[in-house]
Amino acid sequence: MCVGPPHSAADQHRTADGLPGRDTAGLLFAAEMYGVQLDQLAALLGVGEARARAVAARWRGQRCAESARLGPGGLWTWVTRTGLATCGLPYTAAPPALGRLAHIRAVTAVRLALEAAPGYVAGGGYWRSERRLRARMGGRVGLRQHIPDGEVHWPDGAPVPWAGECWAIEAELTPKTTSRTVAIMRELLARTGDYGCPAAEVRAAGPPRHARVIYVCAPAARPTVARAREALGSSGARIEIRLLPPGAAMPAPARYTAARARPGAAISRAATPPSHRGAAS
Amino acid sequence: MIGRWLSLIAVRAALRALGRLLRVAVITALLIAAAPASVVAAIGAALAWLRGWQPARLYRAALWCLPMVAVWLAATAIASRSASVLAAAPYHAWLSLWHGAHPASPADIAAIAPVAIPAGLAAGGLAWAYRIRSMSTGTAGLSPDAVVSFDLRQWRHQARSARARIAAPGAIPLTTRDGSLAAGAVIRAVNHPGGPIASIPYPRMRSHQVVIGTTGTGKTTLLLRLWAGFMATALRRHAAGQGRLPLLVVLDCKGGADARRIADRARRALRLAGARSTAIWPDEASLSLWALPPAQLITTLVDLIEHGTGAAAFYADVMEAVVALAVEAPGGPPASAADFLARLDAGWLSAAYSSGGHEADLALIRSAARQAGDIGLRFRTLMRRLGGGLDGPGGFGDADAWYCILEGTAEISVAEAQARAIVDILATYATAGSQDREILLAVDEFGAVSRRLPVWQLYERARSLGLAVQVSAQSWESLAAGEDERYRIAATADGGIWLLRTPRPEPVAALAGTRTVTETTRHLTGRTPVWTHRGTSRLRRDPVVDPARIRSLDVGQAAYIYRGGVTYIQVKRLVTAPAAVTPAVTAPPPAQPATPQQRRTAPAPARARRRLPDASSLLDEAFGAEPAP
Repeated sequence: MCVGPPHSAADQHRTADGLPGRDTAGLLFAAEMYGVQLDQLAALLGVGEARARAVAARWRGQRCAESARLGPGGLWTWVTRTGLATCGLPYTAAPPALGRLAHIRAVTAVRLALEAAPGYVAGGGYWRSERRLRARMGGRVGLRQHIPDGEVHWPDGAPVPWAGECWAIEAELTPKTTSRTVAIMRELLARTGDYGCPAAEVRAAGPPRHARVIYVCAPAARPTVARAREALGSSGARIEIRLLPPGAAMPAPARYTAARARPGAAISRAATPPSHRGAAS
Repeated sequence: MIGRWLSLIAVRAALRALGRLLRVAVITALLIAAAPASVVAAIGAALAWLRGWQPARLYRAALWCLPMVAVWLAATAIASRSASVLAAAPYHAWLSLWHGAHPASPADIAAIAPVAIPAGLAAGGLAWAYRIRSMSTGTAGLSPDAVVSFDLRQWRHQARSARARIAAPGAIPLTTRDGSLAAGAVIRAVNHPGGPIASIPYPRMRSHQVVIGTTGTGKTTLLLRLWAGFMATALRRHAAGQGRLPLLVVLDCKGGADARRIADRARRALRLAGARSTAIWPDEASLSLWALPPAQLITTLVDLIEHGTGAAAFYADVMEAVVALAVEAPGGPPASAADFLARLDAGWLSAAYSSGGHEADLALIRSAARQAGDIGLRFRTLMRRLGGGLDGPGGFGDADAWYCILEGTAEISVAEAQARAIVDILATYATAGSQDREILLAVDEFGAVSRRLPVWQLYERARSLGLAVQVSAQSWESLAAGEDERYRIAATADGGIWLLRTPRPEPVAALAGTRTVTETTRHLTGRTPVWTHRGTSRLRRDPVVDPARIRSLDVGQAAYIYRGGVTYIQVKRLVTAPAAVTPAVTAPPPAQPATPQQRRTAPAPARARRRLPDASSLLDEAFGAEPAP
């Protein structure tokens, strides 16, 4: 048993203190997002990095999580099979894919920024992760189906004007072609059925599933996304574009940082962090 | 003497028969000697006959075999390392086939196949081309009517092949790789390039087209295909940065429940093609006549009312003056029908123009005061009959496609007025400049509204407006009221004419022109007359489009006439998603007339479409403001 209800009054007290209750939320968060980097875990738990490292160590001790330095920046922590079983999540346990680290970090940053906004809390928004959507698809993700990086569900009757809506969230680090972006936007805007629904309901008559699509982009990707939105015409009104929050990009590795620090030093392609070269949303 | 003469005749006949026998024997011997190739040629020609192929298809198949020949020659060259052995390789392969074990072993057949298959296919193509040529010129066949039988049989074979081609799922996409619209499978092409798929280049959809076909011939299926193809191709071009956003406006001038079913089909087909929204007018969406510029609004309003000539022209002038006063009142143009009707009153007009500096207008109001009431009555009747569909809010920019249902069967005069108003709104939208759309205006059952919809006037300036017009009718007679106008519409259809089964296709078929064909006469001989192969040939001009063929077209078959040629097409039906449940329509509450003072400060009418609530506050909190472009 790694995470569960507090066993004692002391645990109850500690719950009020924050850690065990936040442990559960943190573990669920890490499980939903494929994995989480140490600084983002600290931001999620509202503690310093040292405290977050201790939390991760406790999870490891309870065999609920694993940690390793997968790329530049802090440790990555991901939930093991035991941890997933404890959380009741039917996902396949695996460390975050190296090629997707930058993207996972960006999506996590988007989620953290959104969940920290007072309007999100007031509206009772619920983040449905890409991992959950893929699990619903049950391995039936066709080549032509695009799954958003997350969905935000707003309950009916919430005290926000957009109550009852479902938003699709897309984090764009690197620019795709405009036509591909248009196709993705069109697919997201036209979808009517839930992920994993029968094929006939994916595009059936009725209101679209996603009332709007939120594109949170790196500066390099923003012009392409903006062009694609223009290409959609009137439907483009349902697309919102914002820039990724600070800290969403992967920290540069030391060699890259040193090269940049030298005045006039040319930054070779080899010195470019892999997350900035190969990562795509 | 007589005996000698008779014996001479007998000898001559015997020699002639012997010669024929020899010729047949030689040909047979050659065919047997070239057995592998001749078998392939026979199979190829038989397949071409059975499937209605053109000889070019066999030639292409022979060309596709050339890589196999090259590989075989290369393998032989590598194995033998001798040019003479390589040159003799086909001969040796043929020889081993005949001199080897009988029946021939698979190895022997495989050895000769790389040469025999392409040669046989080419020979089969030549034989099939000779057969077609001789039948079309009338030089073959036991009797002259064999030509007709051959043509009819080939038509059946070609139509059967075309039906088989469109039956395969995914065989006919909406758009081809080169950006053309795929309408279906080619049955036969005359003076047009052939091919398995009938594709229409997109620019032709940006030109005017005419579609003629009676009920039940597949006209709606064809139209849906063309509309969906236009939408899909235009969206694809726009996404690639090669064109503007499309806008499809369909005027269904038939009306009734059938039109609503077609509207639902069209919506589903267009959704498949990528259109995000299809507005169905007037059931689910409305347009605003009052959004027209004041000058255009005056013209449109006056034209909506039928007025005669002679003495009635006086009333027309008075009406125009009163309408102009009402529209150009100092408070601004009317915002709704109720607002406009309230202005057709001498008291209202006097109050509106009483602010000073309008003495001439006030004098006009005084002189027209007696007629203002009558004019108001006529417009009140007209507005009641038009319904709320033109009373806004809404505009063509609100949707990717508009399907407008006009009750042309039940109320012709209402449909005419509605069509006139909608076309005026569309023309204004197209000329607005800021609206960067590629517009296709499709008028189905045009005959119902042709009396008062001067669509041919749009033809003249449509290109500069970025507007293409597609007119469809059940027959040549219902295309327009007069023969001149019919010819004007058909002759200016530079995007092509679609002809489905119709009882009198001659006028349209004549527009395709003629072609040169060879006509051959055959002599009769003997006491029991038989046709010999002696005769004469001459050239004559035949119509490119055979009206009899048009009359006998099956459901789903269409003839596409363009630039002196015709392609007969088996149209591929669009398979759409299940039918939508039509939402209940609630009529908007009647608008209250606005006073001139209220009109001055009144905000723009709200859009009928449900707008999304503004979520930028939350997004700004989370991510900051939207970046500037």
